[in-house]
Amino acid sequence: MPLAEAVPNPYQPSLVRIHDFSDETRDVRTLRLQFVDDAEAGSFAGWEPGQFGQFTVFGAGESVFALANAPWRPNGDNGSAPTIECTFRMVGKVTSALRAMSKGQVIGFRGPYGNHFPVGDWKGKDLVFIGGGIGMAALRSAMLDVINRKEEFGEVVILNGARSVADMVYTEEMPAWQEVDGVRVVRTVDPGGENEEWNGEVGLLPNVFEGLGLDPEGRIVIACGPPIMLHYLFLSLGKVGYSPDQVVTTLENKMKCGIGHCGRCYVGPFSVCRDGPVVTWAELNELPKDY
Amino acid sequence: MDSSWKLTDAQLREWLSGLIEGNSVVAPVEEDGVLLFRPIASEDQAIVKPSGKTRWSPKEFLFPRSEALYRYNFKGGSVQLEDPSLPEGHQVLFGMRSCDASGIVRLDEIFLSGTKDRLYAARRENTTVVSTACAAADPECFCTAVGYSPVGEEGSDVQLVPVGEDWMLRALTDKGRNLVGDAGDNWAEATVKDEKEIEELEKTVAGQIERSPVNREWSQVLEEGFEHGAWDRLAQHCLGCSVCAYVCPSCSCFDMNHDANAFCGEQCRSWDACTFPLFTHHASGHNPRETRQERYRQRVLHKFAFREENDEPFRCVGCGRCVALCPAGLDIVSTVAAAVEAIREEGADAAR
Repeated sequence: MPLAEAVPNPYQPSLVRIHDFSDETRDVRTLRLQFVDDAEAGSFAGWEPGQFGQFTVFGAGESVFALANAPWRPNGDNGSAPTIECTFRMVGKVTSALRAMSKGQVIGFRGPYGNHFPVGDWKGKDLVFIGGGIGMAALRSAMLDVINRKEEFGEVVILNGARSVADMVYTEEMPAWQEVDGVRVVRTVDPGGENEEWNGEVGLLPNVFEGLGLDPEGRIVIACGPPIMLHYLFLSLGKVGYSPDQVVTTLENKMKCGIGHCGRCYVGPFSVCRDGPVVTWAELNELPKDY
Repeated sequence: MDSSWKLTDAQLREWLSGLIEGNSVVAPVEEDGVLLFRPIASEDQAIVKPSGKTRWSPKEFLFPRSEALYRYNFKGGSVQLEDPSLPEGHQVLFGMRSCDASGIVRLDEIFLSGTKDRLYAARRENTTVVSTACAAADPECFCTAVGYSPVGEEGSDVQLVPVGEDWMLRALTDKGRNLVGDAGDNWAEATVKDEKEIEELEKTVAGQIERSPVNREWSQVLEEGFEHGAWDRLAQHCLGCSVCAYVCPSCSCFDMNHDANAFCGEQCRSWDACTFPLFTHHASGHNPRETRQERYRQRVLHKFAFREENDEPFRCVGCGRCVALCPAGLDIVSTVAAAVEAIREEGADAAR
């Protein structure tokens, strides 16, 4: 067979329907999507936390979002067909068009792309998830995967930070995470972002993290947030004795193709969509500061 | 030497004329005083010379400036998707220089590795490359300074070598031998002496290229000096126009956008360049490469650094178009040399 006929079109998406959504904040929404064609759902089932997808609003364009729900485990509780969840902030043309869509409407999805969090390597270890703002969306899948089988892991601390109380995501589901034995949720807002009812922490994420005084021994830190947050978080982590291979993050470079061709997401020789997006702090130290 | 012949210019033209039957032949054509690759209908349009290159590389015949990746129609509340039909028919890219043929191999490394690009794969499979070795260097040429050769075979199915007034025609691959077919029966076989001419040409042309070579070890120096202050000075004159990327035979970056109306639409890709500010601009407003200096550095380093293995070729093939056409007179080879010199003299960490 000629080469090209054997090559599927990597850019043609699957059709997925907006089954449901919840509004996290005034500009952040979480979508629950179902494949229009069950056969396509089957071939999608093997994805892992940390991977991402390209979501198409036909007529507007594509946007990259992390796959935010727990991965589909055939023997787990999620017996139904695999679904996709993504949390996005309305910030540009595509996300504004997506925000305007309603239940039942069809969008495009292609993926999963990229590498994933090494959740299997974390068994028996204490874990800290640190998410800044919408950065929580990229951690949610790994976090839910861990919470769903908490007995396989050690102590879990979830640090959810936002600019202000109104900008905090996943507020409705956080109490349920907290109820799982051995899971502790810490919420924090930037100074000035609190209001009268606020009963969480006030402070920048790196400072709040330091204040928790978590012993680095046997602990893995999984962090995602804006570049400036990561910069200061790494300084804090170094200060309190974490080594770079104990810290995992996920890069959020601008991407278009998702398959390592368009050249946009390079950090030196590292193509974020193809070689990442998940990297350890140690791996990041080997790359030029170009993210 | 069963796949090597010596042809007169008239014989070459007769062969080219035959190729137009049954193939889409693309060759250098003079258009308003500018040499450009164009599909030809008659062999006399083609300008096949011992030296000189087209203004643009031939990459657009494999990687078009703009193309639809898939199409869709809105039907009621649903969407119908449509895969674009694969390009049909066989194309012959005739008369590109050796540097451009290497440029195609650099494109192959992007589009045919890992997840393959369907449209590129289809065109590539249906394309035969007839390259032309160089008997003289243009003023901007620097292939030998970056590890390539004016008589390089990389990427060529058939190679034409200028030998005085005549041509040596060498079929280098099965595709090339198929393209020659029976025509070779009427041609004189090339002699050992003719073959020797290739080495002579290489020496002659290399002697005309006065640029000092870019050493492979410099990749590491450039990477170590990523944050060196010299980049501010070196990129000072870059206008960010990106003509360098557009005329480059190996630049492959692209953008993807939707073009649609109320009834239907398509996802298009079009050439893009790392020297444009929006290339890496996040929706959040964050941009890892906010300044022209950072963007120009990315372009230079993507060509000359960030290689996995030391024997991996540079992603610059030395055609020199970016040097000839840069409105600010920037010269990528001089830039690399100057950056390496500054990093070595002042240390990799010299403050930005």
